[in-house]
Amino acid sequence: MDLITLSVIILFIPLLGFILTLFAGMKFKWAFLIENVLIVLGFILSVVLLYTKLSGYLDENIVSEFNWINFGVVPFFGEIIVKLGIKLDNVAVIMNFTVFLISMVVHLFSIDYMKGDKRYNRYFAYLGIFTFSMTGIVFTHNVLMMYIFWELVGLSSYLLIGFWFEKKSASDASKKAFIVNRIGDLGMFAGILMLFVTYKTFSFQEIFNAIGAGQLPFNSEFWLTITGLLLFCGAIGKSAQFPLHVWLPDAMEGPTPVSALIHAATMVAAGVYFIVRIFPILTGDALLVIGIIGAISAFIPATIALTQNDIKRVLAYSTVSQLGYMIMALGIGAYVFAFFHLITHAFFKACLFLGSGSVIHSMHHEQDIQKMGGLRKKMPVTYATFLLATLALSGIPLTSGFLSKDGILAGTLAYTSLTGNWFFTFIGFTVAALTAFYMFRLVILTFHGEPKNKEKYDHAHESPFLMIMPLILLSGLSIFIWYTPNPFNADSGWVLSKWVKAPTIVTPESARYSFMVEEPKEGSINNHEEVTFSHEYTHAMHSAHVPTIFLSGFVAGLGILFALLFYQWKKLDADKLAAKIKPLYNLSYNKWYFDEFYNTVFVGGTLAFSNFLRWFDNTIIDGIVNGSAALTRGLSKVSGRFDSSVVDGLVNFMAYFSGFIGLFIRKLQTGKVQTYIVLVIFSLLILLFLFKSF
Amino acid sequence: MEAPLKYIFDSIQFLKPEITVSLFLVILVTVDLILGKKNKQILPYISLAGLLITGFFVIQQFETSAFASVQNNIGNFGLIAVDSFGNYFKLIIILSSIFIILFSISSIEIKQAFDRHGEYYSLIFGMILGMMLMVSSVDLILIYLSIELVSLSSYVLAGFTKHSLRNSEASLKYIIYGSAASGIMLFGISILYGIMGTTNIYAINTVLQNGAFQPLALIISCILIFTGFGFKISAAPFHFWTPDVYEGAPIAITAYLSIASKAAGFALLIRFIKITFIQAIGSDGYWQLLEVIDWKSFLIIISIGTMTLGNFAALWQDNLKRMLAYSSIAHAGYMILGLAVFSDQGIMAILIYFMVYLFMNLGAFFVVMLIANRIGSEEIDDYDGLGYKTPLLAVSLGVFLVSLTGLPPTAGFIGKLYLFIALVDAKMIVVAIIALLNTVVSLYYYVRVLKHMFLAKPKSEEGKIAIGYADTVVLMALLIPVFVFGLYFTPIVNLAKNSIALLGF
Repeated sequence: MDLITLSVIILFIPLLGFILTLFAGMKFKWAFLIENVLIVLGFILSVVLLYTKLSGYLDENIVSEFNWINFGVVPFFGEIIVKLGIKLDNVAVIMNFTVFLISMVVHLFSIDYMKGDKRYNRYFAYLGIFTFSMTGIVFTHNVLMMYIFWELVGLSSYLLIGFWFEKKSASDASKKAFIVNRIGDLGMFAGILMLFVTYKTFSFQEIFNAIGAGQLPFNSEFWLTITGLLLFCGAIGKSAQFPLHVWLPDAMEGPTPVSALIHAATMVAAGVYFIVRIFPILTGDALLVIGIIGAISAFIPATIALTQNDIKRVLAYSTVSQLGYMIMALGIGAYVFAFFHLITHAFFKACLFLGSGSVIHSMHHEQDIQKMGGLRKKMPVTYATFLLATLALSGIPLTSGFLSKDGILAGTLAYTSLTGNWFFTFIGFTVAALTAFYMFRLVILTFHGEPKNKEKYDHAHESPFLMIMPLILLSGLSIFIWYTPNPFNADSGWVLSKWVKAPTIVTPESARYSFMVEEPKEGSINNHEEVTFSHEYTHAMHSAHVPTIFLSGFVAGLGILFALLFYQWKKLDADKLAAKIKPLYNLSYNKWYFDEFYNTVFVGGTLAFSNFLRWFDNTIIDGIVNGSAALTRGLSKVSGRFDSSVVDGLVNFMAYFSGFIGLFIRKLQTGKVQTYIVLVIFSLLILLFLFKSF
Repeated sequence: MEAPLKYIFDSIQFLKPEITVSLFLVILVTVDLILGKKNKQILPYISLAGLLITGFFVIQQFETSAFASVQNNIGNFGLIAVDSFGNYFKLIIILSSIFIILFSISSIEIKQAFDRHGEYYSLIFGMILGMMLMVSSVDLILIYLSIELVSLSSYVLAGFTKHSLRNSEASLKYIIYGSAASGIMLFGISILYGIMGTTNIYAINTVLQNGAFQPLALIISCILIFTGFGFKISAAPFHFWTPDVYEGAPIAITAYLSIASKAAGFALLIRFIKITFIQAIGSDGYWQLLEVIDWKSFLIIISIGTMTLGNFAALWQDNLKRMLAYSSIAHAGYMILGLAVFSDQGIMAILIYFMVYLFMNLGAFFVVMLIANRIGSEEIDDYDGLGYKTPLLAVSLGVFLVSLTGLPPTAGFIGKLYLFIALVDAKMIVVAIIALLNTVVSLYYYVRVLKHMFLAKPKSEEGKIAIGYADTVVLMALLIPVFVFGLYFTPIVNLAKNSIALLGF
């Protein structure tokens, strides 16, 4: 079987699961098993796909397309042919593997976690349609299909966040997620239309080729930048980047496994994946904007996470922060490390979310970490896996997180040495320290110390096998050995030296970052250097590598040290510190007042505007109306006369006339066949008369 | 070998589908006689087998383009043209016949006349033979004969359930009206023959190219001949029979008349006008017609009259069959526009429209039939609350009606889209707008049915209406294409694109 067929089967397996589970679920209690069996099957096929592609077709992009719509030449526009298709490159198959792996463990985890829910089967059906949509995003070879599946993913996310829609907060959160996403999608749609109008195609490769040949929107680099940024709007929405990040923490109202699948590992990563896909067309200016947005999104949520007490919200803000990290990495050209971090983050963040699910499950839906503590004795496996994933997220050596985060930080240093811009380096290392701090705060408050709620603590217990197994699997994947033999240098690992490589940039040279101008020459570079764009950049990366290891180790250690000082050894008092810097604490605790700001400005603005309209209506319009009423009264007396005699006469005549026509038409269809024939002859005569002169 | 015999034998290879149909006509009659009064349920399956074999032969010769039954005394033109255009319509006829036979199996009306099943299926085969000749005949005599064959079979089928008064009335009206129309047409044919001295339309084209004829007589004859075509495709002002007959006939037959017989009529009309009056085809696909009759204005007037009358009359109908009858008149109006463009693109639009129309119109009639089977009525008031009693049927009917309106993502949208593209491309903007406004009107009466089904409370507290397994399968066979072709229509478009070629042009 060729790979394309295989990928099509993989794509449609979850859809089949959705349909079967949804319809069978109405009658049979065991319908969720269909979905679970199918997703395991899909995972096995994904492994086969991954293995075949990476072992047999390493450097090939396998593309298959067909004409979906062929309008031919259309008046006023030209030729419209819309092709749909699948593109399998290394990035796509690795991403697909990740999606299916996490989707599978989340399915299995949910079997116990969701037990007893009244819409049990429907829940699994929703997971199925989500997996289908996500796979569509991964495999697509064109931007239109990307958009279609993008919206489908939005829909499934909406359905799953609001799964317990009886809870008002859940249904509000699902609406918020959907609407905020729509704002980003609007920009993305505009970008797609710009591309289509310019290039008459949706296919990534054809667009790249056209840009490489010098064809630009409106023949200007400026508009190419704008197009890139419009497309990036979609990623801002979906990956919860500043300023549209507000929906993600609220989305934690959904079931916890859903948060692990959608709001940590896969869907929110779709934005990053999309930027990875369109990376070659992004100009230097566009990349700079993307990098800044990413840096802001990495920093603000990291500061918010310091003070939150809801276990899932801490993880949610951490997710936004890490996604910002990836986006920032893309913005500064650390393409391969951004994608690498996407994968490693997916594993350990899913592990953290599922771990928090396990905790919440055993604590009977208690989510406040201030009321937990000491759980390490009751839930040893959850604790161990959670700790391992936390180490990875903090970027401690020997973990996968260290490898990818180190790469991104080295990227920021290299960027600094090439451009002299310190902003990204500063943000990168600060966020690394903050991350280590808040993650250890979370671990210590949840698992260490004395239990604060004795009653709930006594009932706590280790979760059943089906919930533990995914944790072990995912935390296992947070160890370096799967990615590289050398725990301190990811470049020498197979992921970066062989599988994922920086793409060829197609934008005009004048519009690029200066260090991206020189193309790497074929053959002259050894494997270690293929992660990059030019010799200049390679050297910068190399010289940044060793300092980064020490520096990042230092800041992460610092973060952990402070967390221990504050919460474990109680050498420092967190409350006192909070009281001292009250304004900063409040800013963080209240999430920088984003929701309040949006409520006042946008929601309030809309309300105020409509209030103004009402006032306008009440005073001005009504005033005019009242004033004119007096005038009208005078006029009406005159017109009344006119009306009753002339107009009414006309209207009555029209009504009479229409009635007459209606009567006439109905008379035509008398049901008498003789009449019909007379009518035919009659109309024939008319036709003859009309056309005889020709 | 003697010359006439030679022509017959030479033609056999091109006439396999027609021969198969005739053969099965005989088989059906014979089997019916042998079986006597029992075991008649085997007849529909024999018919289906016959249709599948015929379909196979049609597909086999799809790309052929040749004359059959050649008469060498008039310059090697034949009686029958075998080409991909005709074969496309033959496929439509066969496909709709298959569905009609499936309908008949579950129709209560037809079941009640169990002892006359033999006649029923052999008459259908007679009709199929006539229609297949209609789409491919190029000689006025054969044209007339094939129309008569179709008409005579359908007269009887329309009145098949003898005991129903409504049926017999429909049949009788149909006969009288049809005879008048065919008489007028025959009159026109005789005049045309008188002017041209030949009955073959290719030969007539040659004479016209030379320009020796009497214009007034030509116009009179052509308009008289058009009466016959107009009768078959129910174009205004020759449509009067349609509502009465559609309402009175068994639903299966109504559906059949609205698709197959109309398709055959259209194929014949297109072939007649194109072959007889064409001068040349430009490289952009536009035809140059001989300037003897202003066919363009003529067809536009007919078409606008047809669609406006159909849509406006449908607004006030309370009987679903009658409403669908008027709606099918309106659809004929849209399709005539495709011809009035006089380009290959327009023809392609008609071909696409017919394929789409087949599924959605048959689907609508099928649901109406299934519901009539259970509640014994087609009145719109009896559809109140049907959405709760039988969700599957009601939703399917909704989809078919939405598709008939022409809204995405259903196939009906694609049909209309290509039609409007052809119109806009030919700069017929005003006509396109009129057609568009007509579509808006049609939305009202289609959605009215949805309102009754889903928003009105059911009048009686009767239980759910269950439908059988076989019926569900047939329903899905109609419903799925409406969606699939709405989303992925390249196959139909490609098929239609390959089928616009008429023999010689």
